[in-house]
Amino acid sequence: MNAPPAEQPQHRPDNDGLLVTKMRKAFFPGTPNEVVALDRVDLLVHPGDFVTIIGSNGAGKSTLLNAIAGTFPVDRGSIIIAGRNVTREAEHTRARLVGRVFQDPRAGTAPSMSIEENLSMAMLRGQRRGLRRGVNGSRRREIQDQLSLLGMSLEDRVTAEVAKLSGGQRQAVSLLMATIAEPRLLLLDEHTAALDPKVAQTIMDLTGKIVMEKRLTTLMVTHNMELALRWGNRLVMMHQGRIVLDVGQEEKSGLEVADLVAKFHQVAGENLVVDRMLLD
Amino acid sequence: MTGILTSGLEQGLVFSFMVLGVFITFRVLDFPDLTVDGSIVTGAAVTAMLLTNGWSPALATATGALAGFVAGTITGVLHVLLKSGSDATNYGPKLLAGILTMTALYSLNLRIMGFGTSATARSNVPLLGEPTLIESIENLLSIELTTWRLIAALAILALVVKLVLDWFLHTEVGLSMQATGDNEQMIKALGVNTTIVRIAGLGLANGLVALSGALVAQTQGFADIGMGIGTIVAGLAGVIIGEVLFGSRSVTWVLFSVIGGSVAYRLLIAGALRVEQIDPTDLRLLTAILVVIALAAPTVRRKVVRM
Repeated sequence: MNAPPAEQPQHRPDNDGLLVTKMRKAFFPGTPNEVVALDRVDLLVHPGDFVTIIGSNGAGKSTLLNAIAGTFPVDRGSIIIAGRNVTREAEHTRARLVGRVFQDPRAGTAPSMSIEENLSMAMLRGQRRGLRRGVNGSRRREIQDQLSLLGMSLEDRVTAEVAKLSGGQRQAVSLLMATIAEPRLLLLDEHTAALDPKVAQTIMDLTGKIVMEKRLTTLMVTHNMELALRWGNRLVMMHQGRIVLDVGQEEKSGLEVADLVAKFHQVAGENLVVDRMLLD
Repeated sequence: MTGILTSGLEQGLVFSFMVLGVFITFRVLDFPDLTVDGSIVTGAAVTAMLLTNGWSPALATATGALAGFVAGTITGVLHVLLKSGSDATNYGPKLLAGILTMTALYSLNLRIMGFGTSATARSNVPLLGEPTLIESIENLLSIELTTWRLIAALAILALVVKLVLDWFLHTEVGLSMQATGDNEQMIKALGVNTTIVRIAGLGLANGLVALSGALVAQTQGFADIGMGIGTIVAGLAGVIIGEVLFGSRSVTWVLFSVIGGSVAYRLLIAGALRVEQIDPTDLRLLTAILVVIALAAPTVRRKVVRM
């Protein structure tokens, strides 16, 4: 695996990052099945930070991303993205600020539409859509330029249906769609987990390159502790809906997977046995 | 034989707008919309009622189509009220929303046809002696619309509507509409209010369906409450036959295919009615069988190959 970008990210002055305060989310509230998925989560992410998020199944990692993106309303707390309080905003309204890539390569693209149509729609993230032509000359040139950065020769196939692409190609297009309009926040939800190892590495390398180039504030959820250590400049560990570990660049660069496992057991306390099983 | 050809062509073109509407709901929006059985009558009823009240045929036809648009948006709003969660593949609320509007339209259409007469409701509005769009075109061009000229005029109208739809579906809004049916979660994540897009798309589709209704009333000379029964199945038949016969390689192409499918379907029906044992009352049974064969063929073929 390639070495991670070691340089300290430069903060974009026009961007105020992400601030999550005392956020709580319970599923099936008031029933015997109530699950507190997020429990008073506080998280301040500086502009340009690339935060990796780990934790066992059910720790609340994906719920955190979904809450930030607005998939569901939260019970309590607030979410501020780039200085704007979006806590009460609908998902499609927040979308102007937030780009997402999901685990399933099929989630991020419209399969029966062409590559250029998909990317044209992504270029209009959060903008008013009118009766101008969706794919025009200047957009097509920009799309081809951006596709050529992927190194997959997709720039020669812009009119091909996305359904005809491989999983890796589709995820690369999803990644480009999430980032092409330079969102203030990029959310990656195990976006390489469904790919075979070689393709996963390609997508991860591309992710690192794009995040660095565009200086995107990024949250990346992963199950893979090695990935979490290798990438980004900050690491957050979640457990039972809370953030239980938060280490910056310096401390993180000295850590190894074994240290993380030990840290995890230390903070997880009484649930050690159950969670060790999940981690192994 | 020419009888089959001309009546098939004329009917096929008159109903092609309805089939384009069904294409938009079923294929573009992934919304099996049953409103059409009602909205086609609404288009016919509004247009016929306005014609008997002295409106110009062009304006009456446009208003009929607009009434269909409104009916479609009501289905869209009902869907929002009935659905729970955002599972795009949950067709229950979609079907129910259409059925509710269709049912409500039955009463409303009777009222519309009774409007301006001594009766509160009527099941039929004859257009005998009323000037229709056909006379308008005849006066405008100072020609008599013979059978073939009428077919040509309808073909031109179908082409114009096809080109406008093709243009619209490739605009920024149109791409959002396509994506709403293709991957709603994704286009929502790009900041599109898919609820509004779906309501607008249902309006557009039912506007086209009502346009067909308005033209049916004017070519056959009356609006009737029973004319809408089975429209959705006939529309689906047109879409499927078109895709099978002419292909669906792109949106631009499939819009042609669908018009071709509408014509092919009506030719098939016109031909079938020439068979002595088949009565016009068998028409909807035949259509249903046709749709079943077209839909089941790929599955059956796969199973046979596997055996």
